[in-house]
Amino acid sequence: MDSPFFSEEHRIFRRSVRKFVDEELNPHVDEWEAAGRFPKEVYKKLGDLGVLGIRYPAEYGGADADIWTTAVFCEEMGRCRSRGLTMSVLVQTDMSSPHLAYRGSDFLKKKYLPGMISGKRVGAIVLSEPEVGSDLANMRTTAKKKGDQYILNGSKTYITNALQADLFFVAAKTDPSAGKKGVSMLLVERDSPGFLIEPMKKKLGMHASDTGELTFQNTPVPAENLIGEENQGFYYVMESLQKERFVSCCAMTSSAQQAIEDTIDYAQSRNIFGKKLSEYDLTRYKLARLQTRVEAARQLTYYAAHLYDRGLDWTDAVSMSKAFCAEVANEVADECLQIHGGAGYIEEYDIPRLFRDLRLWKIGAGTTEVMYYILAKRMGI
Amino acid sequence: MNTLVCIKRVPDTGARFALTSDGQDIDSRNLEFTISPHEECAVEEAIRIQEKQGGSTAVLTLGPEVASEQIRESLAKGIDRGVLLETDGSEWDPQATSQAIVNAVQSIQKTGTKYDLVLFGNESADSGDYQVGVRVAAALDWPCITGIKSIEFQNNQVVAKREAPGGWELFRLTLPAVVTVKEGINVPRHPSLRGIMTAKKKEIERIKPAKPELKLLKQNLRKPQEKSGEIQILGHGIEAVPAIVAKLKELGVI
Repeated sequence: MDSPFFSEEHRIFRRSVRKFVDEELNPHVDEWEAAGRFPKEVYKKLGDLGVLGIRYPAEYGGADADIWTTAVFCEEMGRCRSRGLTMSVLVQTDMSSPHLAYRGSDFLKKKYLPGMISGKRVGAIVLSEPEVGSDLANMRTTAKKKGDQYILNGSKTYITNALQADLFFVAAKTDPSAGKKGVSMLLVERDSPGFLIEPMKKKLGMHASDTGELTFQNTPVPAENLIGEENQGFYYVMESLQKERFVSCCAMTSSAQQAIEDTIDYAQSRNIFGKKLSEYDLTRYKLARLQTRVEAARQLTYYAAHLYDRGLDWTDAVSMSKAFCAEVANEVADECLQIHGGAGYIEEYDIPRLFRDLRLWKIGAGTTEVMYYILAKRMGI
Repeated sequence: MNTLVCIKRVPDTGARFALTSDGQDIDSRNLEFTISPHEECAVEEAIRIQEKQGGSTAVLTLGPEVASEQIRESLAKGIDRGVLLETDGSEWDPQATSQAIVNAVQSIQKTGTKYDLVLFGNESADSGDYQVGVRVAAALDWPCITGIKSIEFQNNQVVAKREAPGGWELFRLTLPAVVTVKEGINVPRHPSLRGIMTAKKKEIERIKPAKPELKLLKQNLRKPQEKSGEIQILGHGIEAVPAIVAKLKELGVI
């Protein structure tokens, strides 16, 4: 469906990314899903396509483009048959690098941002901990200032890109007694002393995206690698999470759209009891209903983008969108698998992988319950 | 080496499509439009020729204002400038289209840009007429070769290769020349985001050609019957043998 939000440039960009996904990624995704990771070369190719710094300044290699360009990119990456790869790439573009691009000092930006935009350096965002989950205010990891260094100690878990990343954006307590007002964000290089990375395997889905646990044992981090101001990290993360949630909405809605298209193809080719599956009213009703819900999810996401584009507060719209898109995407995955019948339970089709992959989005980037918690609070309830 | 590439805006060839109720056109409401695939390769070839030989590149299309999007996409890939022969959107037959292109080429040549090579796709993905490139060459009195999968240059000549059963046919053409290319001559690049942003500033010249009297009139379109993807299972294990033998006899294989 055409949208008034997209210009000629957006449409050309969409075709370019779609072709890239079809030609450079999709032919390899089965292999990468089985391997549990994908080659770092993919980031380099994405860098050449100019998509790793969409809204970043041209002086660092970015494109200085708008939020709609980001939306197009994420929607087309959502059509990659490995949603895990998509998630890893979005961690690079909209979950880790924004801390550097929007809050990093000129020194840090000059040193690291061109490499992240070209795809030479991969990023990870390091928040969750084994004991407190994503409750940042009560995190245990500490960063004590000692001379011109911070000394980092603690453990982190569920870290996407842990095995591939060169740069880790780590949230740690610089003032352990100050709750959320004592969190800072540090940029930690992979080969730092006392920094251990352990793979986490056997995830339900998102198989091509590597996940790991991190341990810091007296890891020295140069003080100049502090992102923004000391003890402001909690607020940076809250701000950045909106972007993280927004891009996940674009990607998952587009994945759901693709599942509907796949299911229409299947229903039109599958004969049951003498007629095509697509000719049964029940199938037609189900697919039309799902399409309506996907469109509503997409338009809610576009509304969030519209607010951001105008410099307005998009927190409510993003929270609603994240909760609603995740519900709709999972409903689509479930219903489309059901329409596939037995075939939907066989890995020969994309639908079982999609079913597993999309389940994450009710949890990742803030659970659906957290989204409704935020909204209820903002409603004054 | 100055190269002009002629392209056509066509519905996305991979998309599901329907016809309008009067059968006169493709229902484009939910369709994506793109550059005809052979012509996408022609655009890529022009850019590669410029990268090796220097000179200039231009892309031309005949169509409504919205066709400027396909010109802009070519500019995003690296083509220098665009020419839109703007129509009201109605279909022009191959003779009318080629005449408009010839007029445009001659008019641009008068302003000082001499084209050495005009590239076309072998045929457009929608109407598949195989005519426009050949007609343009004939009208310009330039040599023409079609269905080409390799282009090189030697001593002011084009050396073009066409696939033939068991090998290649090799052609030498004196410049200026017209060459129509086929998919497979190269792998077209994806326009980068930076290229797309830069293309916004590149020039598209707009010319409104006079609509000639059409001599080839479309009666109506008919959607071909979709190929059946149905699989018939004749049986399982050894018990399937009689059914297989009967089917092979029915098909005339045994």
